[in-house]
Amino acid sequence: MKQLSRVLLLVCICFPAAAFESEQAKSWLERLSKSLQELNFTTSFVVVKNNQAEPYHWYHGLNEDNTELELLSLLNGPRRDILRRGSVVSYIEPELPPYSVNSERISGPIPAIFSQDISLLEPSYVFVPVGRSRVLGRTAQLVRIESKDQHRYGHWLWLDQETGLPLKLAIITRKGQLLEQVQFTHLDITDTLSETLKQLSSSELPQVIDIRSGVVVDDFIWQVNWMPKGFKRIASNRHRINVTKKPVEFALFSDGLIDISVYVGPSETKQRAEEYAMDGATIAFNKVVNGIEISVVGKIPVSTAKAIVNSVVLER
Amino acid sequence: MSESKFETVSSLVDNYQQSESEFDELLKDEQLSGTWDRYHLIGDVLRDEVPENMQFDLSAKIADAIAEEVTILAPAKPAGFTQVVKAKVVQFSKPFGQLAIAASAAGLMIFGVQQNVAENETIMPNQIVQTNPLAGFAEPVSFNYQQTSPVSQKQAMVEQQRRFQALLSDHHQQIKLHTLPQTAQETPEKVEDSIK
Repeated sequence: MKQLSRVLLLVCICFPAAAFESEQAKSWLERLSKSLQELNFTTSFVVVKNNQAEPYHWYHGLNEDNTELELLSLLNGPRRDILRRGSVVSYIEPELPPYSVNSERISGPIPAIFSQDISLLEPSYVFVPVGRSRVLGRTAQLVRIESKDQHRYGHWLWLDQETGLPLKLAIITRKGQLLEQVQFTHLDITDTLSETLKQLSSSELPQVIDIRSGVVVDDFIWQVNWMPKGFKRIASNRHRINVTKKPVEFALFSDGLIDISVYVGPSETKQRAEEYAMDGATIAFNKVVNGIEISVVGKIPVSTAKAIVNSVVLER
Repeated sequence: MSESKFETVSSLVDNYQQSESEFDELLKDEQLSGTWDRYHLIGDVLRDEVPENMQFDLSAKIADAIAEEVTILAPAKPAGFTQVVKAKVVQFSKPFGQLAIAASAAGLMIFGVQQNVAENETIMPNQIVQTNPLAGFAEPVSFNYQQTSPVSQKQAMVEQQRRFQALLSDHHQQIKLHTLPQTAQETPEKVEDSIK
């Protein structure tokens, strides 16, 4: 009886503690989101994956009329800039003429959800506060965003104690293997808008292309029968793949944090066994069955990619 | 050593005319010629004309090297039987070796060029994709099955690399195009049935 009461006591202590911890982590992430939206900052970071480092510059600030301005540029190789003014995002890349899309987030190495409503992640992830450490010469709070199932990787975030801004981000497997990390190398918070962003606020952006008027289809003869819980389809279309110009039917799924692309298209090969390639945490998984090529791309483990590919069924 | 002699050296370095006899004296005296060297070096340093690799007393090194060279007096040995055979073997195998090297170099070039092309075309130039076939290459099992040659395997690898690179870049592209405003991200009902 005494033991039972002890267990009960433990349960009583532990559960609220866990809930409290999760709340604490969530408030850290909410602060991150707020800071990413409201602060004027100039920062540099390096994305480390495949034994390579990609350096970036990232500027963010608010205009006099409270419009968000953002500039993310890759510093090595050909120019690759992403500009954002309010809800127009422009991409400047070597492969394509510059274009803009209507969006409130830029798609870069830092997941866009971090500057948005973090509670969108709650169905699929748990937030765990871990502890403090020193990153970029500052005191950092580590918060882990862990998947509720085993089908996704964990995201570890080191946040600045003072401002809530990110200092380091790592994508780590359930076994603790590091796949990809973003290390900030410089962080400068200012009261006023930086010169670069002032220029952006007055510069002319490329014309906005309307995605929704494009080919959005829903009459595919195939279906994805399995996805990890929490993924929703956010887009589908028919297009030609960038480099190879192969026609494909395409669907994009997202759980808020990560995106998964599914491609189905004809192939010259009759059969090909499952193959995959990794780029940091991003996997491209591919197989050909009866002349139909099925591919899945996203930041997911091999087992998940395999399960998704094998769940694709053709109706005819 | 008198002070005046150093003065003579100094004036010589500064290109002030001196008499022949003084010059001869300087050449004979080892210490004085050393001083001559140093004065020039000091001048060079002051004028910032020192070469990157300084070689002090180059002349001495060359002299040493010549002195160390062994003078060969004995005549060369007549070529014995084994050496003749050896020489033949070398001659016979040499062209093959060269051919092999040339062939592999050409192979590398072709492969390299193809890879470069593939890399230039891709969206993400910084990515090096590590391809991992899950269960080796898909090889058909039949009577008509031909052994895949290394060349075609290489080609298949390049092709595979290209395929994955294309998928990855297209994935990034599609994400960029479909980062819809948050409100639009809320699921319409259709989506649920498509996933089931």
